[in-house]
Amino acid sequence: MSKSFIYPVVLIIYLAILVLVGLVTGRRTKSVEDFYIGGRQIGPWVTALSFVAAYFSSVVIVGGGGFGYLFGMATLWIAAINVLLGGTLCWIVLGPRIRKFTQRLNTITIPGFLCKRFKSRFVLIFSAVIILLFMIIYNVSILKGMGHIFEVLMEIPYTYGVLLSCVIILFYVSIGGYLAVVWTSFIQAWVMGIGLILLTIFSLKSVGGITAANIALQKIDPGLINTPGLWGWPGLISFALIVSFGVWGMPQLLVRFYSIKNLKVLKIGTIVASVGTCMALLPYLNGAIARVHFSSLQTPDLAIPTLTKMVLPPLGSAIVLAGVVAAGMSTFASVLIILSGSLMEDIVGTGLGKELSRERNLTYGKIASAVIGFISLLIALRPPALVLTLTAFSWAVIASTTLWPVLFGIYWKGATELGCAFSMVGGFITALIWMAIGKPFGIHGFIPGIIIGLILMVVVSLFTPKFSEEHIKKIWSD
Amino acid sequence: MGPFHTPWLTFSAWIVALISVLFSIVWAIWIFKPGEDDE
Repeated sequence: MSKSFIYPVVLIIYLAILVLVGLVTGRRTKSVEDFYIGGRQIGPWVTALSFVAAYFSSVVIVGGGGFGYLFGMATLWIAAINVLLGGTLCWIVLGPRIRKFTQRLNTITIPGFLCKRFKSRFVLIFSAVIILLFMIIYNVSILKGMGHIFEVLMEIPYTYGVLLSCVIILFYVSIGGYLAVVWTSFIQAWVMGIGLILLTIFSLKSVGGITAANIALQKIDPGLINTPGLWGWPGLISFALIVSFGVWGMPQLLVRFYSIKNLKVLKIGTIVASVGTCMALLPYLNGAIARVHFSSLQTPDLAIPTLTKMVLPPLGSAIVLAGVVAAGMSTFASVLIILSGSLMEDIVGTGLGKELSRERNLTYGKIASAVIGFISLLIALRPPALVLTLTAFSWAVIASTTLWPVLFGIYWKGATELGCAFSMVGGFITALIWMAIGKPFGIHGFIPGIIIGLILMVVVSLFTPKFSEEHIKKIWSD
Repeated sequence: MGPFHTPWLTFSAWIVALISVLFSIVWAIWIFKPGEDDE
């Protein structure tokens, strides 16, 4: 069977399953809590694997392969830190407390939690606006990535690729809400995992095994197998931290902890999430193997698509393609539901004080997700230069803004309203300025952003009025 | 040089990933106690 037959067939089956999930979950989505956090009824496997799928977008698979191609085996460290910080420790440190605190405070969004924890409308509006603005930009980068994947692997024009993926996502998110997002992400995690494992088996076979790959890479340049190798410590460490520790401040991932059925879910969930995040090793490994086969690709981002086409039979490469598309769709859908929540619950509801009936809130939430998705689509079809520049650091800016307020909000009773506000604004401005002046010393803006945010959180909290015993007791329940 | 002709420092990335998974198992089975305040 030729690839011109298999590619569309596999893709149509995959997209049809997503639409079906949207229809089924739509029937179970009856309240606002159902729409944004699945009624806090999600089990361990679905929570953990949907976390993994939302964590790794197509940018990680294609871009990670590109880094592996450029810098070699040292990039495996990025994935290892992903597993340690972004998977295991994120679940252990944040999971139990976020679940407990958000239920006690009855909040369904990150800005909503910060607002009630720090008793601050400014914190709510600031974090919601930053999330809204930079998450849309992040979404544009994901859509753009998917458009290019369709272009390279299926020879479908960029515009049609972007339109096709966006319309399907908008359909199931606006109908099924969070339930559709986690269930489709659960399926997508399996597709991504199977695709990446298939690619790894065939690419290792093509090069004669891992030892042969390392010997071949060493002949090209010893820096391709050494650590930090060609990248150097500042770039490697700061990038590994932004894509690992940064997760601790990303609302589309933290919301997974809101939605779990009970704390027992975290037992199996943590193990599944840790094993699942190990799939991050594979794009970097395959990217390095691609370097053995192709010495001069037009752009490093072509490493995974080109390797896929070379080593896999049509059915296998169709599954890898579906996996890459799945990675993009799951992240886009997760971000979309967060954006809708920030807009309707935080900005319109709490921020502007508009009381809506539960039915209206649900309807407007669905409309908001469709409108925000449509705006992302319009920008992605012809992205302006400024948006393209901002996509490179949208993740860093959001994480620099929300990471410490969330972490200190659940671990330090002495964290104050002003400490939180200064940490947010300071972290945000520092990350933005650092990236705008061209990343001095090769260090990603996330690093100075979180350092300044940490200092401000601690110092300002120490010298500003504490919360009352009553407020602290309400949150900690002790 | 470590296993598979990989320098030890690079090979350690695989070890860190493996230890993370093992630690998650240890934490889930022996350390984490959801307790009676499970809501």
